[in-house]
Amino acid sequence: MFKKILFATSATGASDHAARVAFNIAKSYQSHLNIFHVLGVPSRGYSQVVVDVKTKERVDVDEDYTAWVTEDIRTYYEKYLDESLNYTIDVAVGVPAREILRQAKILKPDLILLGGSTGDEGESVYKKSSLGSTLQKVAKSANCPVLFVNRPAASFWGGLSNIVFGTDFSKISDKAFDFAMKVAKTLDCELSVFHALDISALHAGKMLNQDEIEQQIRESLRKIRSRYEPRLKELKGYSMDVWEGIPFIEIVKYARDKQADLLIMAHHSRKISSEDIRLGGNVEQVIVRAGCPVISINK
Amino acid sequence: MKKKILVIDDDLNIRDYLVSLFNDNGYEAYIAGDVKEGIKEAKKIKPDLITLDIEMPGEWGPRFYRQLSQDSELKNIPVIVISGLSGHQYAVVNAVASLTKPFDREELLKIVKETLN
Repeated sequence: MFKKILFATSATGASDHAARVAFNIAKSYQSHLNIFHVLGVPSRGYSQVVVDVKTKERVDVDEDYTAWVTEDIRTYYEKYLDESLNYTIDVAVGVPAREILRQAKILKPDLILLGGSTGDEGESVYKKSSLGSTLQKVAKSANCPVLFVNRPAASFWGGLSNIVFGTDFSKISDKAFDFAMKVAKTLDCELSVFHALDISALHAGKMLNQDEIEQQIRESLRKIRSRYEPRLKELKGYSMDVWEGIPFIEIVKYARDKQADLLIMAHHSRKISSEDIRLGGNVEQVIVRAGCPVISINK
Repeated sequence: MKKKILVIDDDLNIRDYLVSLFNDNGYEAYIAGDVKEGIKEAKKIKPDLITLDIEMPGEWGPRFYRQLSQDSELKNIPVIVISGLSGHQYAVVNAVASLTKPFDREELLKIVKETLN
């Protein structure tokens, strides 16, 4: 299932929770784990001067420095690195998002795994209400599923057994469902399909009455049944639910209620042609707030 | 009647310690070494409280809690997480408390007393 995982890390506290997930998935599923670190953007035209992630000092990047950083990463993750783990460590210089995507193009991983942003003085993004730009850019352009681990809660507690798939019934959601089915079947997980009925955006300016809300819930449930249930029957367990409210809040609540190990959602930002690299609002908010890892699918 | 506490932990030393601690303080302690055994014991003895380790061989503690919360007879049993793993306080969101190994016995007894009374 996850034969090759690209774990992009700052090798600082912001990536610690992601690291636990990355190493545990790699060990549980005998994946090859590529631990990838981007040193930063060269600060002068033709030089290789970068700002060190940890010391914040300007340093000349040469072979010695790269070797030192590689060793430093090995030391940082020492407790996870044993003989049973199949891993490599790579270090690159450049714009983090671009380098991560470049590395993904070379490695062709089944999964890119990203932790919290380091853009806020080492704070994980879970305290903020938006994702860092690197996470947004990678999620938008990656050719494979991207797994986010932002909040400390979002850890991997002994494997995957319960997956929540959030759908908005779009074509990309159908792709995400294919992926969710594949994960659930391969890893013998239960799958809960969830749709959040957005009552804040519906009929802007007009408050829906309860009959209307419940009618729409029934319609959405019928849609879930006709669209997904025939395939869900292939799994050992599944459930289908529709809740009304603000979608990202309801998805996070539902995943918490289900004690999900993993949330899978599609996002639509590949369709955005402008320079706006933000993820779809709901996905971004779910990634920031969810109490479990979130996989975003964009194609 | 003594309140029953089920200790679920794969570490024999911790199990023995907790059993002595609870028995010496007026509770009746039972043990389980893994999730399967834990569920079996919980169904059999219907404990008033459970202490739960997170990392165990086979299934982990959160998996136990999920099964517990899906059982109508067991879902309201309070759970105290006791673990050495970092971030364990996030592993079982609805746990009444989450203690780090090595834990303070007085703190544990206080939480147990507050929970059971």
